[in-house]
Amino acid sequence: MTVAERTDVERVVPQAGPPSRRRPGTARPWLLLAPALLVMGGLLLYPLFRVLVLSLQDFGLRELVSGRTDWVGLDNYVQLLGDPDLWATVLPNTVVFAVVAVALTVVFGTLVALLLARLSPVVRGLVTTAIMVAWAMPAVTGTYVWVFAFAPGDGVVVQGLGAVGLVDAATADPFAGRLSFFAVAALNVVHHGFPFAALTVLAGLLTIPRELTEAAIVDGAGAWRRFRSVTFPMLRPVFAVVTVLSTIWDFKVFTQIYLMPGGDGVNRGVLTLGTWSYVESFAQSRYGLGAAIAVLLTALLLVVTVAYLRLLFREDEL
Amino acid sequence: MWSMPGSRSVRRSAVALAAAAALTVAGCGSESGDAAAGSERTLTVWIMEGTNPDSQPFFDELSAAFQQRTGATLDIQFMQWGAAKDRFTTAIAGQTTPDVAEVGTTWVAEFGDAGALADLGPRVQEAGLSDRLLPGLVEAGTLDGTLYGMPWYAGVRSIVYRTDVFAELGLQPPTTWDELVAVGQRIKQGRPDLLPLPIAGDNEFIVYPFLWGSGGEVATQNGDSWSSGVDSAQARAGVQFYADLALEHGFSTPAAATWRETDLRDSFTKGQSAMIFSGSWTPKAIVEAAPDLRGKIGAFPIPGPTGGLAPSVVGGSVLSIFETSDAQDLAWQLVEMMGTGEFAAKWAQESSYFPGITAQLNEAVQSPDPLVAPFAQQMVDSGRSVPVTPAFGQIQGKKTIAAMMRSILTGEATVEQATSTAAAEMNEIFASGA
Repeated sequence: MTVAERTDVERVVPQAGPPSRRRPGTARPWLLLAPALLVMGGLLLYPLFRVLVLSLQDFGLRELVSGRTDWVGLDNYVQLLGDPDLWATVLPNTVVFAVVAVALTVVFGTLVALLLARLSPVVRGLVTTAIMVAWAMPAVTGTYVWVFAFAPGDGVVVQGLGAVGLVDAATADPFAGRLSFFAVAALNVVHHGFPFAALTVLAGLLTIPRELTEAAIVDGAGAWRRFRSVTFPMLRPVFAVVTVLSTIWDFKVFTQIYLMPGGDGVNRGVLTLGTWSYVESFAQSRYGLGAAIAVLLTALLLVVTVAYLRLLFREDEL
Repeated sequence: MWSMPGSRSVRRSAVALAAAAALTVAGCGSESGDAAAGSERTLTVWIMEGTNPDSQPFFDELSAAFQQRTGATLDIQFMQWGAAKDRFTTAIAGQTTPDVAEVGTTWVAEFGDAGALADLGPRVQEAGLSDRLLPGLVEAGTLDGTLYGMPWYAGVRSIVYRTDVFAELGLQPPTTWDELVAVGQRIKQGRPDLLPLPIAGDNEFIVYPFLWGSGGEVATQNGDSWSSGVDSAQARAGVQFYADLALEHGFSTPAAATWRETDLRDSFTKGQSAMIFSGSWTPKAIVEAAPDLRGKIGAFPIPGPTGGLAPSVVGGSVLSIFETSDAQDLAWQLVEMMGTGEFAAKWAQESSYFPGITAQLNEAVQSPDPLVAPFAQQMVDSGRSVPVTPAFGQIQGKKTIAAMMRSILTGEATVEQATSTAAAEMNEIFASGA
């Protein structure tokens, strides 16, 4: 939605009239924007600039204490992009995990939203409160609960699976294998993330005029057809926001992976961009390298976001 | 829905604000140093939380005694182990470091190398303490001949076992590696409901006793450069023996491949294990968590391959004075007071760690407590430090050794492959740090 508005402005401004008519007011918009720009500049742009500068230095504790700077040009980037782990393990893990987690979050969130929209206000309030609990739970707490449930040996889930004969409860370890590790992590992330999707989509659902749906029913459209032809097009901006934000969150997921057994770098097979960057930089006090990773991650997320928006809004709408 | 993007941007600007605040502090921090000198003398002291479960009375007493002796007051600030390293780093960046701080042995090399800590060597010598300090902690606190921390307290890892199980099966604590295997096998046969000796994958500190015990080295220093020793034949033999306790002899459970040290303790308190590798500071917590084990647990040192004791890592804390402190003489008075005499003994006793003074530790060796003497013996006879170089801090940060052990225990790699991978990783870090 914000994107649509912004592009509107861009399109309108150049056509706003001949320069002579605009000149008296040229300063005023900037004046009005000044406080916001100052705050943005100080709080966002300057740190961003610092990170860029830092990513070109070899910056560790020694530099921190002495205040010396050690310029290394693009060495940090070369080292990062030349790391075989990045291409063989880290990126595939991150991308596949993010795609699966985002898809599950959005689909499950939408289903819950559709359910909520059909409930009476009282019941809806109850259910909403219930799912808000999942959302309000801090990521650290949530992760420990899931780890506890899947703990090898005496975790509830492992015992349950053992009781129905799917695994050998005495020896099964969900955290040992790559796939099972990420399955647990995805459960955790989706559980923590779906309430946001559900509530956001619900808010959108409630704005769809009843008449549209009713007309579709009269025309003989089934539930799936109504969703595809009425609900989804109406809510496209909402889905864009939900998907983009979920993607950003799931791409740089850290806590939920790091706190799981082996997720802190001990199990090299389950490193993701978030944990890998921490292990490679901050855990080793190499802040220059950490800054370079941050820059790369930002660039990557920008690309992903732009790609998504282009996919969701055809060019004529942009 | 609009509250979501809103709250997100609030969060984002909060982060940015914190970053900006840090920058501001960094910008004007240099002036704050001198200002404090004129006012009433106060020492800022950072202490790690949790070592001593109830440390307030100790520090009240210490503050009173220190004020009586020097007239200066203490500002004691507690911090969590988990967050402490970041606090130190930001404090160094902003020049808001304390005068005195408890620093974990594994951090001393890094902070000392960065130039953040004062050289305590001359002061220790002047005070006549040089020969009285615990060698393992001195080794951990010394980088390139400079002592950056006064030994304060120390712990070591040995083996804790169930005395009732040993009595039931007529077993004696093993004194060689063969005996260790034999004892494990007897437990496996006699008490199949128990894990004889679980091997945790994410527990690097137990790899070293076996690696050292068989004659290997973690890393060796040649002049200025270090090189990894984990892929030597001796080191591999030790790692193989350790891994085989789980893989060949089945004393562990496959699930333990992802366990941490705390998981070992949990399995013991739940009554699932007959022996565990354990820190000297843990038995107290075990009895608290499982009162029914009271009187049923004992300890024995990790044996050497054919007798004697295997070297075990001495961990703990030293007291360091920060270079930025403008009251280093006063700070040393406090460090000496905490690190020697009655306060050192009292702290060790309350926290169930060992004091950093050899004479006091020797008393512990004579202790009748079956949960104190074996650990003290291991520390006195065979306490050792991991390589003291900032690069090893990086290696620990990257979890190289734990990753190696995990991959062996899960069967993803053989000992040969895993040690080669780990050695390559270590050498790469050693090379980049030099």
